[in-house]
Amino acid sequence: MNSLLRFLEKYYFIILFLLLEGFSVWLLADHNFYQKASFGNLTRGATSIIDYQLSSIDKYLHLKQTNIELMVENVSIRNEIAKLKNKLDVNKSSCNDSIGGVKFTYSTARVVNNSINKQNNYLTLNVGSNEGIKREMGVISKDGIVGIVASVSNNFSTVISLLNTSLKVSAKHRRSGSFGSLYWDGINYREMILSEIPQHVNLAQGDTIVTSGYSSIFPPDIPLGTIEEFALKDGSFYVVKVKLLSDFKRIDNVYVIKSHQAAERNLIENQKQNE
Amino acid sequence: MSKQLTRYAVTFIVLFALQVLILNNIRLGGYINPYIYILFIMLLPFEIPGWLLLILGFLTGLTMDAFAGTLGMHSSATLFIAFLRPYILSNISTHESAEKKGNPTLSTKDVGWFIKYTLLIVIAHHFILFYLEAFSFTHFFSTFLRVILSSIMTAFFIIISQFFVIRN
Repeated sequence: MNSLLRFLEKYYFIILFLLLEGFSVWLLADHNFYQKASFGNLTRGATSIIDYQLSSIDKYLHLKQTNIELMVENVSIRNEIAKLKNKLDVNKSSCNDSIGGVKFTYSTARVVNNSINKQNNYLTLNVGSNEGIKREMGVISKDGIVGIVASVSNNFSTVISLLNTSLKVSAKHRRSGSFGSLYWDGINYREMILSEIPQHVNLAQGDTIVTSGYSSIFPPDIPLGTIEEFALKDGSFYVVKVKLLSDFKRIDNVYVIKSHQAAERNLIENQKQNE
Repeated sequence: MSKQLTRYAVTFIVLFALQVLILNNIRLGGYINPYIYILFIMLLPFEIPGWLLLILGFLTGLTMDAFAGTLGMHSSATLFIAFLRPYILSNISTHESAEKKGNPTLSTKDVGWFIKYTLLIVIAHHFILFYLEAFSFTHFFSTFLRVILSSIMTAFFIIISQFFVIRN
């Protein structure tokens, strides 16, 4: 206390000066418009750096929440797209769709179990029959097809991965429109085989392979991968090696596709076969 | 004591009358704005206690601000010269500087000493004032020109006023 008093006694002149000067500058900055604006700019410049760092930390901590929000938003956008596409189709054919609804709706799911190193790989999703998931629904990610739902429990469902040598999906060469079946040969998890492309089709390296839409499970024109190399096999068909867009090792958020017309379509297709 | 107080009060009023009524209305090309009201700070006696010097400096500036509508600008600059004054007074070398009684005026000191004293105080004041007014260093040289030209003008008026006072 004594030393504090001595300090004040010794430096009171400077301290009083600084106090009054500080008060003056405050008056200046607070009551004069131009100086106020300049002072604001000056302090903002200094604090914005700190603010930026703080907000980036904050963003990181909220990544999970942000991801969920984005997923929800994505789903609603996808549903919107499906609706609009359907409208477009209806307009094109200029006839009334008796169902009038959308062909496909999407819902989100997370992969809780996954494998890529077996010949027959499966994934497990955190959604089940409680969420309206049924067998034979399609599963896609933002980079293409993931697989088809194989079995469903109340809260989980298993999905036959595209990386399963027993699964074949219909795919087409986007530029020419000719289709074939896409399957995994069990070798490289980034590559698949597209077979049955006829010899006359003009293929090129880097061409995009998309879903054909011939099955009722997946909507058409989902990009799957690009042509890596191709060769003629048995004279009349190409065997095409396709580089997948999606990395199954890192698959996390997926969308389950509900096809509203699948039942109707299967019914009529089966009728034909039975005749 | 009361006689001295009256003298300072009169000095204060006269200086501010001069400043507000005449000099504030002189704007030579926007570069020359003389401020002679700071003579009040310069003329305060040698023996004045530090706290009183600072407070008087602040209040003088605040009065000027009230007239000019620039709250804080003149008070910052005037407070600054009040703060500098003791250091300037003790550092200006002169054969008479040993004697620190009375007022630092032209009548008690020689002309060279007073001019030096005036210039130091005036330049310090105007430097702070004009840069606070501009509130940036972006137009450093044009502001600097205003500081120099206005300082010369203010110093001129202050020294002239001293001869005027002596003659009376």
